[in-house]
Amino acid sequence: MSDMEWVLKGRCYKLGHDVPHAGSVVPNSIITGRYFDAKDIIPHLFEETDPGFHQRCKTGDIIVAGRNFGMGPKMNGYIAMQALGLGLICESMPFLGYRAAIGCGLRVMSDCVNVLEFCDTGDELEVDFRNGFFINHTRDIRREYPPIPDSLLELVELGGNAGWLKQWWAQQQAVESGSTKHA
Amino acid sequence: MTAVEKILARTSGLKQTRAGEIVYPVPDFVMIHDGVVTGAKQELDALSITRLFDPDRVMMVTDHDVLYNNDRAVARGAFNRKAAQAWGVKNFFDAGRGGHGHIFPTERGFVSPGTFYFDNDRHCTNAGGIGALAIRVGTDIARVLATGTTWTTVPRTVKLTIKGQLQPGVYARDLGFVIGKALLPDGAFGVDIDYRILEFAGELDQFSLAARVSLCSTPTEMRAIGVFFPPSEAIVAYARERAQRPFTPVYPDRDARYDAQVELDVSTLAPQVALPGGPYKAADLSSVAGTRVDHAFIGSCASSMYEDLTIAAGVLKGRRLASGVRMLVVPGSEDSTNRMRRDGLLDIFQDAGAMILPAGCGPCASGRSGMVHSGEVSISTAVGNGAGRFGAKDASLYLGSPATVAASAITGKITDPREFVIKEAAL
Repeated sequence: MSDMEWVLKGRCYKLGHDVPHAGSVVPNSIITGRYFDAKDIIPHLFEETDPGFHQRCKTGDIIVAGRNFGMGPKMNGYIAMQALGLGLICESMPFLGYRAAIGCGLRVMSDCVNVLEFCDTGDELEVDFRNGFFINHTRDIRREYPPIPDSLLELVELGGNAGWLKQWWAQQQAVESGSTKHA
Repeated sequence: MTAVEKILARTSGLKQTRAGEIVYPVPDFVMIHDGVVTGAKQELDALSITRLFDPDRVMMVTDHDVLYNNDRAVARGAFNRKAAQAWGVKNFFDAGRGGHGHIFPTERGFVSPGTFYFDNDRHCTNAGGIGALAIRVGTDIARVLATGTTWTTVPRTVKLTIKGQLQPGVYARDLGFVIGKALLPDGAFGVDIDYRILEFAGELDQFSLAARVSLCSTPTEMRAIGVFFPPSEAIVAYARERAQRPFTPVYPDRDARYDAQVELDVSTLAPQVALPGGPYKAADLSSVAGTRVDHAFIGSCASSMYEDLTIAAGVLKGRRLASGVRMLVVPGSEDSTNRMRRDGLLDIFQDAGAMILPAGCGPCASGRSGMVHSGEVSISTAVGNGAGRFGAKDASLYLGSPATVAASAITGKITDPREFVIKEAAL
């Protein structure tokens, strides 16, 4: 796990509570149209609530949300966030949404209690997703939150389920070709 | 440990597990439904993964779209048949062969007390009716099909103790709506049910297997990852008669740790409906009695076991639908349809003027059959009634028990089933 950057430093984009995936994170048409390719989704990320977001955001920027982020298990927006190199922290999100975000390889921390109180849009943030640190350099605030569990780090590092499966399959084939030679 | 912690410990090869731990349970089998086979197959094909972890432990089910009402659906059916062949999946229950994937596997003994399986679809929570556990993994199903497992966080459990007995004419479905309402974030239970198990306790002998399966539905719509009923002796005996593999019933320990414990007295509950918008919008039926009905539907994974069909038939027997009402009956399994024929239930439904659809999800799966038009009013046993679930977004979709739906179809307006059920019991 050498190449993965677990500490992101960037600008804060602050959202509120109960932000729905459909209609806020991405337009509903992205979900019903079953778009799962990052290049198709990126132009529409936060399109309806923050036009131009995808052009303004930079790798390392951090989306900070309140309770019940995403409001369901949809994953399309997380694909775009991961591809843009963004991180996500929130006060809570439905577990199946968290599962989907991890499955997309997104650096994400949920259960960050009261985090909305500790930042505003534009603040310079530093978040360590492996060790669970949140630092707001603009306001000189430091908090500890639950990090990505150790057992899920590899899945995130490999870019999510597709990358993980690719590596798993390569390992299986290596083992099998090895055992064939021995036989 | 809670019952679910025990099931996940067994399947993860651990002596014990605790809520919050990440485990990699090895399922007794894996279920994939018709709508997601294409995505999973393409995902695996792209990585040149052409074999499944164990084809004999994979079940493919055609239930969401049985009738192929458009070109896309018929193409998907053809793709799925080729996929089953390529993967070597023998437990492939294609259209007309099994029925609803959340119903017939229990009836046929694939799901027994203590069984654990992964499923792509969230209403696999029905497994809890017989005391089993199924966990919904969504699009992670491709990883499960290839490797046999995936990461799973052991869920916390909320214990719900039932007090009192339901009155005649009041059914599990009525209770389910009330439980759904109480599980709202600001609801009477005051609990967080997201990714929790709702474990039932208390006076459970009044609930048959079909009633327990019904009670699994609404909590799932409220984001529970599972529901669990400790299996009664009668249910264990039922399971033994049909089990496809050995099983051991699982019960919670006395000192199990719960996220929360709540109680509900059901003894004064009157028949309910769920108002249009969601199955948690429970209201006394009396508050909407008399509302005109155009469309009635009995079925879905919430209410399509044989007993549900029997309850509806009991109300319809010897009667006819009101003029202007069309009624669809969708049994949960082809076995149930056959039994309805043998027992005379098909005669009752057809004499009443109802239409019988092949076993499966029916209209409930995104309205692929039997839809409603703008401005129409439907009453059904569907799992959900969000706007547009089966047809026009401005139709009014009410939910009720099978008895309520049948009674309402007879009168052409939302009707308390006790007007039929209790009078007949007295005869």
